[in-house]
Amino acid sequence: MGVVLRNLQKVVPFRRARLRRDVDTLRLILGVQKLDLGLICVDNRRIQQINNTYRKRNTPTDVLSFPFHEELRPGKLPCPLHRDELNLGDIFLGVEFLMKQCQEDSTDLHSTLTVVTAHGICHLLGYRHETDEEWSEMFQRESYILGEYNRLTGQHLEPLTKRCSQDS
Amino acid sequence: MLKSLSRAVGTAVRLSTVTTSTARAVPLSRPTLCAPSPATSRPFTRSLWLMSNNNGASSGYRPKLFSSRVLRPSSVSCGCGALHTEGDKAFGEFLSDEIKEERKIQKTKSLPKMSGGWTLETNGAEVKLVRSVSGEKIMVTFNPDIVSAPNFVVEVTKQEAAKHSLVFDCHFPEDEIGHGEGEEESDIFAIREVSFQPEGDSDWKETSYTLNTDSLDWALYDHFMDFLADRGVDNAFADDLRELSTAMEHQEYIKFLEDLGSFVHCK
Repeated sequence: MGVVLRNLQKVVPFRRARLRRDVDTLRLILGVQKLDLGLICVDNRRIQQINNTYRKRNTPTDVLSFPFHEELRPGKLPCPLHRDELNLGDIFLGVEFLMKQCQEDSTDLHSTLTVVTAHGICHLLGYRHETDEEWSEMFQRESYILGEYNRLTGQHLEPLTKRCSQDS
Repeated sequence: MLKSLSRAVGTAVRLSTVTTSTARAVPLSRPTLCAPSPATSRPFTRSLWLMSNNNGASSGYRPKLFSSRVLRPSSVSCGCGALHTEGDKAFGEFLSDEIKEERKIQKTKSLPKMSGGWTLETNGAEVKLVRSVSGEKIMVTFNPDIVSAPNFVVEVTKQEAAKHSLVFDCHFPEDEIGHGEGEEESDIFAIREVSFQPEGDSDWKETSYTLNTDSLDWALYDHFMDFLADRGVDNAFADDLRELSTAMEHQEYIKFLEDLGSFVHCK
């Protein structure tokens, strides 16, 4: 299987092949290549709808993660017993929301998609950022992932946790 | 429900005969037209022919099925020699009302514009959208009469080396999946097949190697999608095409109703 990539929006053009390559690199760094991952790109309307349904927040956002293994302890990889459980879960990327942020910050969309996906994968692996302790733990993990990513690709990406409010 | 996307797709792949780990799951359902089989219809029509044919009755008995008096509906003549009944009159009135209602629904008489510099050409039921970009010709063909979200074919021809066109057979998976069960998330449009075809040849070779995307490496599939997007065939285009096709289908329907009204009325 691998990464199931879906683009459900028409507002923001992006390179599917590049996103897949970057996400595959992140999976390799985390050692979760054998686990399936759904990556769904949506517009503001759709992510607002999902945010409202599942988090009771009626606003668009950057990323929403839906872990397959809900009781994972941060840092522990899932131990699937069946083929069906070789699954990390799904990440919804609010590409329209992210595009607007990129325009405001003068940053590159594809780099931002990588950073946000790394953040989303951390959530799928049990990391949270509701308390200071959780925040610190997640920040360290994201820093490690993106540090490795930068080393492999020559980029200079920074964790989303650095700037995020308790939003995703 | 949402977390089940990758699992649902995984299940779809496993249910198919594809066993490679890079299998891509694109819904397989296609609209099919059900025509009666000739094997079942022929004996019946043939037996009717035998009954109505003088030579077919060896005993000299002539069945009265076609020669007997028919029930004649109350008829009205307009001098054209054709039959006009009270039923035809009611039919004509119904059609007039139907056309009025359909025109109300029709947003504008003109067709929606395709953004991106596409030129629209129609040839009977077939519609072509054509654009040229830097020495390449991109032609999209579809038939709006079948469904308002029709399959469409994209042909990319490089004018320098115009022996072959790269051809993409595309469809709208969302419109083919039964709604209600589950929350399957599909791309707005998807590529079903890719092949090379002789440039300018309307009869495609069935023997040409055709790449089916059901069992395709996903990275290759993404490159195909990016390739099309670079040539103006992306989600926004697909959405415009669906809108255009719906408007054209509706326009054709109204024209058909008008022709029907004229035929019934002998106009």
